[in-house]
Amino acid sequence: MTPSYELDVNGVTYPVTADQGRNLLSVIRDDVGLTGTKEGCDDCECGACMVLLDGQPVNSCSYLAVQAQGRTITTIEGVMQGPEMHALQRNLLEAGGVQCGFCTPGMIMSAKALLERDEHPDLDAVRIGLSGNLCRCTGYAKIVAAVEATAVELNT
Amino acid sequence: MAIAEVPRFVRADGPDKVTGSGRYAADISLTGQLVAKFRYAGVSHARITRLDISAAAAMPGVFAVITADDVPDVMYSPVVPDRRLFANDVVRFEGELVAAVAAIDAATAQAAVDAIVVEFEALPIVDDLEAAMADGSPLVHEDWESYAVTGDTVQRPNVASFSSIEKGDVEAAMATADHVVTSRYVADACHALPIEPRAVVAQWEGEKVTIWTSSQVPFDARNGVCETLQMPASRVRVVVPHLGGGFGGKCGFHFEAHVAALARATRRPVKLVFSRQEEMVAPDRRREGMVVDITSGVKADGTLVARTGWIAIDNGAYTADAAFFPQLAAMHVAGPYAMAAVKIESSLVYTNHQPSGSVRAPTAPQACWALESHTDELAAVVGMDPVEFRRHNIVDEGVEGAAGQVYGEIGLRRCLDAAVEASAYGDDLPDNEAVGVAVSWWPSFPGPSGAYIKIDSDGSGMIITGAQECGTGSVMTLRMLAAKELGMEPEDFQLVYQDTSAAPYDTGATGSQTLLNNGRAVIEGAREVAAQLRNVAADHLEAAPDDIVLVAGQAHVSGSPDRSVPIAELAAIAAEGEMLIGKGSGTPPQYPTVSAMCVGDQGLAGWAGPQFACHAVHVRLDRETGVVRVLDVSAAHDSGTIVNPIGAHGQVEGGITMGIGQALTEGTQYGEDAKQRNTGLLEYKLQTAADAPTIRTQFIEIPDPNAGPYGAKGLAEAPNVPTAAAIANGVAKLVGAPVRQLPMTAERVWTTSMEVDR
Repeated sequence: MTPSYELDVNGVTYPVTADQGRNLLSVIRDDVGLTGTKEGCDDCECGACMVLLDGQPVNSCSYLAVQAQGRTITTIEGVMQGPEMHALQRNLLEAGGVQCGFCTPGMIMSAKALLERDEHPDLDAVRIGLSGNLCRCTGYAKIVAAVEATAVELNT
Repeated sequence: MAIAEVPRFVRADGPDKVTGSGRYAADISLTGQLVAKFRYAGVSHARITRLDISAAAAMPGVFAVITADDVPDVMYSPVVPDRRLFANDVVRFEGELVAAVAAIDAATAQAAVDAIVVEFEALPIVDDLEAAMADGSPLVHEDWESYAVTGDTVQRPNVASFSSIEKGDVEAAMATADHVVTSRYVADACHALPIEPRAVVAQWEGEKVTIWTSSQVPFDARNGVCETLQMPASRVRVVVPHLGGGFGGKCGFHFEAHVAALARATRRPVKLVFSRQEEMVAPDRRREGMVVDITSGVKADGTLVARTGWIAIDNGAYTADAAFFPQLAAMHVAGPYAMAAVKIESSLVYTNHQPSGSVRAPTAPQACWALESHTDELAAVVGMDPVEFRRHNIVDEGVEGAAGQVYGEIGLRRCLDAAVEASAYGDDLPDNEAVGVAVSWWPSFPGPSGAYIKIDSDGSGMIITGAQECGTGSVMTLRMLAAKELGMEPEDFQLVYQDTSAAPYDTGATGSQTLLNNGRAVIEGAREVAAQLRNVAADHLEAAPDDIVLVAGQAHVSGSPDRSVPIAELAAIAAEGEMLIGKGSGTPPQYPTVSAMCVGDQGLAGWAGPQFACHAVHVRLDRETGVVRVLDVSAAHDSGTIVNPIGAHGQVEGGITMGIGQALTEGTQYGEDAKQRNTGLLEYKLQTAADAPTIRTQFIEIPDPNAGPYGAKGLAEAPNVPTAAAIANGVAKLVGAPVRQLPMTAERVWTTSMEVDR
């Protein structure tokens, strides 16, 4: 029997009916209907599917949706602050850290989690904090710069 | 003379991409949509003895199972049409399509794929380049002589395309050398690997089909559908949503026709989304493996006098767009060096591997790696510093290159000087660190391209272009060009792009050509609108059209800034009568002629807008494990005028990082069955943010009159060319010998160092 349960995504409670084997990524994309979270490898290797579970970054391709019951799920669609972009989003654009954009949502989720657990990350901490997210376009330099700029901005 | 007075440049598609609202092909779902899955050969070379789809077709929820019997029997591919949509007799690589299924959901589609019965009779596997070229080798294509090959393409058994570059009497010149050095270098195949796996959605309405696809080349994709399904272009519309990277991997025509055929058979929309493993096995686009033999003769003073080369390129099972690869590889083994005599022979060899196709600067990183490693060997044999050796032999203004092209003002020497100067080259470094240097070149690709420009009644501009945005920002840059012609701001323009039914033709996000060619089209279209605006303004301001100046959103009379009118007001006037609509295509730059003799000429021995680069790479070696770490890259590029600096720096940084991966970790491993062994990101390792070095980029801006807008040349591919070569030269200094296989994995570096120690 297919279980029915509720998921809290970006502060909205969604009723879900999905097989127990379904991963969180597919439920977010196909059942909840939020497509900003991407699938790049289904192997936990590329980070395009990164979401926050109770603030912790998780590869949603490799996490069962049923396990996310009772937790707070944040996707890229929940990062905007009302009509305003989060500083990370704005700084990524201004630094030129966005090219094809496919890794960008996952990258922002990892960066957001990093800045929430470490307000003053040094360069190595930023690079390690983003090392679970593959980007083929940028060579990472402008992404790292945008995260560093955001850390400074949020602390002033 | 960069036109970018704009200090920062925010992409028009950027807000979509950072908020998650942007739609990529896999994000599109249509009412009534079915799921497509493919049945692959799963074996590398075999004859199909039985194909039975009856059980699969009878399964509940399965709407169609199609094979070669269900589509026109068309052989396709540019230059060497050697493949069909589905295998009809022989399968030649593991990822070849045998059948396609459309079903109600993914699980049902997969069950149907598994229920298809295919039986094979094994055929001998061809997977060694030299053995494939030997007399009596089993053939990958028994009927190769019957294929409708075009142009001057030369073929041989198991050779899809052969090219040579010959100039001067190479034997006589070699006899004058004081030293002759022969080297062999072998590169593995590797992948473009965009982070987005491809997706295709097709929907028919009556006799017309709309296809949403993750393609870099929507017009090629449309033309492929037209050719293989035998339909006129008027009935096929290809739309590309946001594209999640390509790097050449999404060039060409791939699975659009298969999905369209399924949608036609089922009369429902059909959606295909590739897994990562499918993305690495099935497309006819991966970077080709290569064997390079080079022999060069040098005088005792370091002067290069002659070169011979022999190149074998792994074509894989089908030719895709690779017919020009031999000539391009030959140019890269000749390299940006002056020499009186040269003879390089280059073959594109059929094997039972995944087909090769244009991945970011096809053939160049591997061939440059071989040549530049060899160049350091040449410098060593005459006892010269490698940088001095290059200064002594590189091409420059007025100098004739290996193929006989004489260059205008070029920036190669300045690139070499600038990159080396900015690096730690010559500094006192720890004994496990070194700086390697490599120079490189790459052509620009002139071609036809078109755009429309309009200004609406509210004064907002629209660029309707055939160009494709791959992520590089090149389409975004078009707004800067239109704005400059019309005295407006880039932000005043919206873009309609990536839709074959909306805009004129463009080659697509391929060959670093968008700014070069579509930039020209946009400027021409904008100038037509500017002339229309001047006419409206002349009436309004009672002046001559030639005296009207468009600047800062205003039209004013030259010399009388107070006699002005906002462009938006003119647009409202024009909207009531003769509207503001322009079109452009322009004349592409010309390919130069060359003096070398080229057998199997594919038109790439003479280069328009040649780009030059030098990378100086600081590496560190862990001698116990063979692990190489790249600490710092100093890059200098001559890509002509830089129009959008932030985008240009992004291309160089991304290209270098991709090059580091290719240098150290990215290589396809094959089993004895000729099947790939590392088809996931767990086994095929890209560079991460934690691996990425410091990159310092300098642009040597020399406007090229035979190139793109403001003298801009291409840029997206060039930064990928010399990185692996520069790393190799750093590693060779530390190990004491070149590592002759690419990628230079820890195991290969360690093994080479053990051989040196023995």
